[in-house]
Amino acid sequence: MNTPARQVPRLETILLLALGVALVVVLPLLHAAGLLSSFTLGVWGKYLCYAMLALSVDLLWGHTGLLSLGQALFFTLGGYLHGMYLMRMIGELGQYRKPIPDFLVFLGWERLPAFWEPFASFPFAVAMVFLIPGLVAFGFGYLAFRSRVKGVYFSILTQALTYAASIMFFRNNLLLGGNNGFTDFKFILGHRLDDPTTTRALYLASAVALFLAVAFCRWLRGTKFGLVQHAIRDGENRVLFSGYAAVHFKLFVFVVAALIAAVGGALYTPQVGIINPGEMQPEKSLEAVVWVALGGRGTLLGPVLGAVSVNALKSWATRAYPDLWLILLGGIFVLAVLFLPGGLVSLPARLRALFSRRPPS
Amino acid sequence: MKAFLLLPCLLALLFATPGRAAATENPRALIARAATEAQPAQARQLLAAAVGRADESVAPLLDAWRRDALFLHAQADGGRVAVLLTGEKDERGAQSALRAADGQPLQDEAGRPVRLVAADLPAAEHDASLRRTMKAILDLAELAAVDPTRRARSVRNLGLAQDAEKLPVLLARESVESAPEVRRALREAIALLRLKDPREEIRVAALQELQAVSSLATSDLLARVVQEEAAAGNRLALEAARRAQQAVEWHRTKVDFAGTLFRGLSLGSILLVAALGLAITFGLMRVINMAHGELIAVGAYTTYLTQAVFGTGMTLPCFGLSVPIPGLQFSGAAREAYFIAALPASFLAAATVGLLLERGIIRFLYRRPLESLLATWGVSLVLQQAFRLIFGANNVQVSSPSYLSGNWLVGDVILGWNRVFVIGFALLIVLGMGLVLTRTSLGLLIRASMQNRTMAACLGVRTERVNALTFALGSGLAGLAGAFLSQIGNVGPSLGQGYIIDSFMVVVVGGVGSLGGTILSAFGIGGIDQVLQQYLPLVAPGLAWVPGIGGFLQNLAQDAAVFGKILVLAGIILFLQWRPAGLFAPRSRSLDE
Amino acid sequence: MPHPLLTVEDVAKAYDGFQAISNLNFYLFAGELRTVIGPNGAGKSTFFDLLTGRAKPDRGRLEFGTDPAASHDLTRLSEHEISRLGIGRKFQTPSVYADHSVWENLLLSLRGPRGVFAALFQRTGPADRARIDDLLEMVRLGDKRHWRAGLLSHGEKQWLELGMLLAQEPKVLLIDEPAAGMTDEETHRTGELLLSLAGRHSLIVIEHDMTFVKQIAQQGQVTVLHQGSVLCEGRFEEVQSDPKVREVYLGRGKHDRR
Repeated sequence: MNTPARQVPRLETILLLALGVALVVVLPLLHAAGLLSSFTLGVWGKYLCYAMLALSVDLLWGHTGLLSLGQALFFTLGGYLHGMYLMRMIGELGQYRKPIPDFLVFLGWERLPAFWEPFASFPFAVAMVFLIPGLVAFGFGYLAFRSRVKGVYFSILTQALTYAASIMFFRNNLLLGGNNGFTDFKFILGHRLDDPTTTRALYLASAVALFLAVAFCRWLRGTKFGLVQHAIRDGENRVLFSGYAAVHFKLFVFVVAALIAAVGGALYTPQVGIINPGEMQPEKSLEAVVWVALGGRGTLLGPVLGAVSVNALKSWATRAYPDLWLILLGGIFVLAVLFLPGGLVSLPARLRALFSRRPPS
Repeated sequence: MKAFLLLPCLLALLFATPGRAAATENPRALIARAATEAQPAQARQLLAAAVGRADESVAPLLDAWRRDALFLHAQADGGRVAVLLTGEKDERGAQSALRAADGQPLQDEAGRPVRLVAADLPAAEHDASLRRTMKAILDLAELAAVDPTRRARSVRNLGLAQDAEKLPVLLARESVESAPEVRRALREAIALLRLKDPREEIRVAALQELQAVSSLATSDLLARVVQEEAAAGNRLALEAARRAQQAVEWHRTKVDFAGTLFRGLSLGSILLVAALGLAITFGLMRVINMAHGELIAVGAYTTYLTQAVFGTGMTLPCFGLSVPIPGLQFSGAAREAYFIAALPASFLAAATVGLLLERGIIRFLYRRPLESLLATWGVSLVLQQAFRLIFGANNVQVSSPSYLSGNWLVGDVILGWNRVFVIGFALLIVLGMGLVLTRTSLGLLIRASMQNRTMAACLGVRTERVNALTFALGSGLAGLAGAFLSQIGNVGPSLGQGYIIDSFMVVVVGGVGSLGGTILSAFGIGGIDQVLQQYLPLVAPGLAWVPGIGGFLQNLAQDAAVFGKILVLAGIILFLQWRPAGLFAPRSRSLDE
Repeated sequence: MPHPLLTVEDVAKAYDGFQAISNLNFYLFAGELRTVIGPNGAGKSTFFDLLTGRAKPDRGRLEFGTDPAASHDLTRLSEHEISRLGIGRKFQTPSVYADHSVWENLLLSLRGPRGVFAALFQRTGPADRARIDDLLEMVRLGDKRHWRAGLLSHGEKQWLELGMLLAQEPKVLLIDEPAAGMTDEETHRTGELLLSLAGRHSLIVIEHDMTFVKQIAQQGQVTVLHQGSVLCEGRFEEVQSDPKVREVYLGRGKHDRR
């Protein structure tokens, strides 16, 4: 690459690679050797799925200037679509011992509704994980970008979108489990979900998916597309006069971000063992924005760092100080926005600048 | 039932003979006269005249008569007067005598009260037929109740029971009734009773009457009549019944629509009240305050506290400590006046929180709108949790004062008082805000600073201060909204979350920075939402044709409240295709805005 | 007489009741360098907004192309489509991509496919680099190629934006006050650059600086806009001596000649 100044900082690349190796190779090896419990590995798997959600937020917000407050919708959609497959795999092992999911029995269904049928096929479910969030993102993005909804209006609209979806998913009538969503999964691709090997495989899939997503974003940044993306972030109208159809670029990024989030969600469901509409409520998307803001937006490492650290903090704080967790989260957020706009990843540079008494460039 | 077999002939007698005067006589006096009547037929006739006109106050009198405790006292002039004996017996066993006709003490010529001994007096006679008439009087006492609403209700019940024998009673009532509400009910009931008439022309006339009255209550009955007349092959009656049925259905449509409109108006007002604060902070200042909902909740909780202070006080589970809040121990009207005090209190409480928010955080972020969005969301989390820790995680009880509860019936449309109040109040706030913005110097400064902060600062406006005050004003309005919403919905830690998205939608659709647009869009969204909720279930069966997902859509459309909301949001997104900057948008010519 | 490249007929545009352009008729022929002057509020920038699709006219015809059978209706195209047709614009206030380097600013503007997938997979070849180097030299920013554009001085930004415009190799260049913020020497050099472009390109230049106008309007026509329509059109000297023009400029107390 010979596009100066748009280079990814070398330190970040090294750190990313190191992190990649640690997550993809070291952790699974530790688990295989029995030095790491399946529970801990599962928790890390969950963090990595969240990191993909954070990455998708950052791709939009940090790199394109589109603050989406609805990314958790795509994450949850991915989770639901994969969850539908997992529900079918329960077979007749549910509480009611019927060939259809328990909640359908509970709602008085005798036969499987037609749209549930094909989800017994794993490839179909995977295709849907990409297709449906992609289509939703395309449809919404097309309308929003075409009418030049931007800035805070875009944020508000995406929030409304995920809000609308969540109230819909809360209804039993949607035949997707209502309040409770999907849970009690038993098998994936013929393997028991409570088997340590399955846990490791799922973790590995998450780590690899995250690694690929980060690699993709890094590649994107080096292309002309990355330049246009940043140009849109800094001055969208000017881009039009250079002949770029900003709508197409934004739409592409929006769909890609939705897909990254959806894959994260699809991997999240089997590892956490439950997916419900609570995951697509507006505050979930905002939480993902917190991770990015705290980690450092517009970077590759930041979102991953933010997602993992905030969620690790959450795991600890909700157990140690359940009453104070939200205050802590809110407080972190306010402080990060006010005093650390560059996020955690900007901390070393800031400290260095502080000691060398030179303003950071 | 048997008791009424006599009534028609009795009443026929009544209207045919001298008893015409009886129709205007006080029912109590009528009964007293009947008791003194020696001829049973005459007594019956007099008594029957009281049917449907006497209210339940005659019950003790009739009761006394039946128990042989109504006595006849021979007066000096030879006439007899019916008396009741009350009070303590003296040594001779005499009690004070009251005239049955008016309940006044009986006096002799000298004007002294007369005392009589029960055993000396003959009791008023009564035979089986008189007793039946007495029962009829009591049964229909409701018809003469003092409260016209009760009269109307009893008339309607009689009508729907369709007992043809009660027709004369209703007709008699009609001749003396003056309240329009009861007269309308009478017309309806009489027509309903006439439907039982064997003569077709009478039934047709009755159906025409029903068509004119168009009462919703007759809907089921008319449907039955249509079936019956069709089965019997009565062409004219069938035709009339159909027409009456149509009239009632049309009336129902109108009433439903008016009800929907009213609910839309009231929802619109709620949205408006909730969004007005945002119209200032977001619309004028361009600050995305995600804690706006929590400011609403501050107002609602302040109302709750005020209520407690006016009442018996309470103990707050504040951060695990029990903090007692002393009460003023008011009762009655003074206690109910708490809401009046709660209005300024909520405004001030929310304005104070808003002021702190602006000084502490927002003022650093005026040039970074997305970041102010994030920071204020952090604040909203903190506030929500603070509510939980101070007031508990459950909803708290805010009771509506009596002047805000109850209904108002206009036509057949039910208007809840609190909703009427909300509409009125919304208009009042809008008016007040309009005045503040256009008529006060603060308003002028606000408008100047919001249009061009730098320029205003150059002209010597202390924009820092104006910003703080404007934000406090917007927050205070959110607090007022909270006071209101406490009267309509639950008050809990996540109260604000329920309104924040709707409020933003209202402001965005209205056009940021346009107060008029906000008003229009609030009522528009409220109205459309209610119309969808009302009519979606009607449309639902029609969705089955959609290929593939027809059944699914149908299922969903039944959930009118949710589906309606989703359609409204979809509508907003489509609306923005047409008007990207909202209804009333200021146009800008600079490259990046 | 050849068909004009740009045809503007009977165009009107109002903003919230303010009539920015009314009854505007304007023709630009291929290879021409046209200078547009006019007092503030004459509608000059709105005129450019209409040509570039940033604003849509309330009525009137805006067409591009010398072949009447294959001309493009500009009123139906959006900004980026018009830009791709070959109508480039330099804004009054220099607008460059402040967070990108000078080099990247030029790379983004370089003529070539503009689609999403092209942007993803297109590599920056040696020809592109050479072209960028040429442009850098032309706008004298060669030694600042790695600077963030936001750090450049006002005049340098003007040059960079000119360079970006040239990188697009447009058929028509719409240039709004290029000399603002430049030294006299730079202004003169800008004038020479514009003159050298005329012939191969068609240009419309909006300018206030009369010395500069005089320099670039040597052969070309000058159009005077006033209150949203053309007041007069002609050679620089004719326009300068036109009593109507003097009235408009002097009468409003905005004598702008230096």
